[in-house]
Amino acid sequence: MTQAGPEDLLAIADAACRAAMRAGADFADASVERGRSMSVAVEKNALKSSDTRGWASISVRAFSAGATGWASVSGTGLVAARGAGRKAAELARAAESDPGFVDLVHPAAYPDVAGLFDPRLVEVTAVEVAGWITGNIDGARGVVDDALVTGTARASWWEWALANNLGVAVTQPGTSATVNLQVVIRRGDDVGSYHEWDAARSLAQFAPGAVGPAAATEALRYLDSRRMKTGTLPVVFGPSAAAAFLQGVCAAASAEEVQRNRSFLVGKKEARIAAECLTLVDDPLIAGGLSSAVSDGDGFPHVRVPLVKEGVLQTYLHNHYTANKSGERNTGHSTRGGIACTNIIPSLGVRTASQIIAEVTDGVYVALAQPHPDTASGQMSALVDAGFRIKNGQLTYPLKNTMIAGLAPELLLGLDAISSDYRAEPGRVLPTLRLQGVRVASGEGA
Amino acid sequence: MQEQVQRLRDAALKRKVEFAEVRFASVRSSSLMLQDGRADRVGTAERAGMGVRVIWKGAWGFACTESVRYSDWRRCLDAALDMAKVSAAYAQEPVTLADAPAVVDEVHTEYAIDPAQVSLERKFAAVRGYEEASGCRAGDHIANLRTGYSDSHLREIVCNSRGACVSSDTVRTMVWHAITTQDGAVRQQALEKRARQCGFELVETTPALELSVKAAARARSLLWAKPAPAGSFPAVFHPSITGLLVHEAVGHNAEADAVLSGQSILAGRLGARIAAECITIVDDATVPGSWGSYRYDSEGVAGRRRVLVDHGVLTGFLHSLETAARMGVAPNGAARADGFMHRPLVRMSNTIIQPGEQSLEDLIRDIDLGILLRGGQWGYVWCDKGQYTCHAGEGVMIREGQLAEQVRDVAVSGLTLETLANVLGVSRDFELDMPGNCGKDGQSIPTNGGGPYVKVKEIVVGGQA
Repeated sequence: MTQAGPEDLLAIADAACRAAMRAGADFADASVERGRSMSVAVEKNALKSSDTRGWASISVRAFSAGATGWASVSGTGLVAARGAGRKAAELARAAESDPGFVDLVHPAAYPDVAGLFDPRLVEVTAVEVAGWITGNIDGARGVVDDALVTGTARASWWEWALANNLGVAVTQPGTSATVNLQVVIRRGDDVGSYHEWDAARSLAQFAPGAVGPAAATEALRYLDSRRMKTGTLPVVFGPSAAAAFLQGVCAAASAEEVQRNRSFLVGKKEARIAAECLTLVDDPLIAGGLSSAVSDGDGFPHVRVPLVKEGVLQTYLHNHYTANKSGERNTGHSTRGGIACTNIIPSLGVRTASQIIAEVTDGVYVALAQPHPDTASGQMSALVDAGFRIKNGQLTYPLKNTMIAGLAPELLLGLDAISSDYRAEPGRVLPTLRLQGVRVASGEGA
Repeated sequence: MQEQVQRLRDAALKRKVEFAEVRFASVRSSSLMLQDGRADRVGTAERAGMGVRVIWKGAWGFACTESVRYSDWRRCLDAALDMAKVSAAYAQEPVTLADAPAVVDEVHTEYAIDPAQVSLERKFAAVRGYEEASGCRAGDHIANLRTGYSDSHLREIVCNSRGACVSSDTVRTMVWHAITTQDGAVRQQALEKRARQCGFELVETTPALELSVKAAARARSLLWAKPAPAGSFPAVFHPSITGLLVHEAVGHNAEADAVLSGQSILAGRLGARIAAECITIVDDATVPGSWGSYRYDSEGVAGRRRVLVDHGVLTGFLHSLETAARMGVAPNGAARADGFMHRPLVRMSNTIIQPGEQSLEDLIRDIDLGILLRGGQWGYVWCDKGQYTCHAGEGVMIREGQLAEQVRDVAVSGLTLETLANVLGVSRDFELDMPGNCGKDGQSIPTNGGGPYVKVKEIVVGGQA
């Protein structure tokens, strides 16, 4: 809705920084973002609503003797930008100096990362977005007549610019397209359901038409779910559950959490944290990657970062502040207020997911779950949202009311297989993992 | 601004829409954090914009802009109409809305001390007191201390084409303390927060004993607690986690949009017994000062007390104007939007289980081996299956009718209808003190929850032991 272009956004960010510096800040940076999204929601197989959203905001950080003040405001106007800059500087003076703060990111060349902006997604119409999801209703019902489809399709476009008082000036336009669907199948009191999605940064990589049929096919498999006996068993994480687990582990590698002594990975740099089969690379430079970008939130140029090599933690995830504080190399993981991984790429194993499952005599397969370990304690305790009992190498029956638990440091050492096949999403490689010695709790059953 | 809101509503009516709703929202918030003894960061945010929703030929369209310029609003109205035309091309049944009184009102939060008039120095001094008290309690096992304060002032103006026009000013204040403790390789965390619709007086009436000292004591004792067991056990939910249980297990399933979409396990069960007779569940938007309360929802309908389950019988759902019309009932003011960027959804407010007559001792007396769960942290539910999980701050084993050793890392799961049917008793104790933000479809809304001690015949504990 706002008419500023990317260069204008940079000028606005620069004006905010200058205002902060004039107001007494030692350092300042400012980000400006504007964007628009269009979404269509489906409820019970019928289109429910069509929405379009526009946003525009300025966020300024000012530093005074290392103390941080920040201010954010709506809009992309120069007056608002300057006001936010002055406010951030004023607030920084109210905080206390931080001896760990050195400076902000210095200007540097940025990498080329292709495929993050698709002009066709800026021009996409609501009718086209509606087609992404209504086609999936037919697709799901082609699999199961009485499938109930609920979900959303969305196209988004945004421009982001960041400047700091040291001369950093970076802009990043972006686009994305997503479809998220939940399919429910009822047979009396019995319910089978599944969640599927597709996401991409460009239309060329977007293939939403398979989402509905896939969700319906999976939902059918989850009818007649049962409990199982409580025990300690091998657990196979399917691609989605595995990705959630690994993301949780990477969150504990945040240097902010480590430096504040809030992580189970404190003191583990260059130490073994997982079985030898685990190698992870964080790669924000993948063309069209869902979490790809040319820079992090501080304006530091993104780089490919080996995170875990054959089970050994190679580095913590840093932003400019934590890297300076510890005297380590900046890995470029600032989210401007936090630290987060980008595209996590595990090295693949030599056996397929089917072969890994076939080796399990008695265990559990977890398709969907939120098995994030607690960053401080490493404790993981999660509900199996969708999963199967494995018996004699076969998925036998779907599970209900079943939980899995363990300590992340032990679970990572108990990791004994990563599949050679994987679910591919833009910038993401999602293989299957197998963990030994996971505590499985349920009601009764076999 | 109200004049501009009404002007756009009137402009919408000239476009031959069947319904138009214009909602302006602005929020001013401030926050600060003290970390390990240092005033770490201070921030403010001022965001404002407008969302407009229309029904055209029986179909919804919504658009929003982060702008207060009327010219941007007019373009936004055009966009909303365009969206509605797309919806109309696909919609199967025309949207109808229930009748509701066309309220014209202005309401605001009652507070004693306006947070906007309190200096940063005074705010920092208050949180520093919490941190110092925590440090004394946790001693040399402290790994990290964080103490935060935030306040916000939300101004919302909702005017619709039926004549409703409500202006509300809501002030919220929160203070929290998070502590990480360490003993060798073992780290534990505890978080306590107090949050209400009020002013800075919240801080002045919250002693450290109820906040940081409480968190420190728990984080310290958890260092030597045993891991929770795995399996199915009789369980008693402490009032501090009953709110999470009722929110996840029942509340989301009682949202009428979930019922109508076929997602809720409660669909088709209105009037049926779904819980033990001792269970009465209420969602009450009118609790004075509570984090989840509101006078009017985002459709301009008065919030109220809604009995969802009465002595075990499902008696009602939470409704928007649309879901009420589709179910043929009166609206009950449960449509809430997360600022101007979103259309209203059916949401909870303060969701509680009503207390009973028993004592905690009565509830645990006949439990040979079970677990008491304390301190709701987070959870979620798959409404279609009625399968939910709740994470607790801590547990206490129950052995031979007595509270025994503390356990840590406690998460549980259950099936809504089984859990409700398996409730064996509720206590006369009562707490409504689990303020938090509930997420749904990308929107985050302030809610609260609570209740008595609740005894359940069995629940799955996802422990390690």
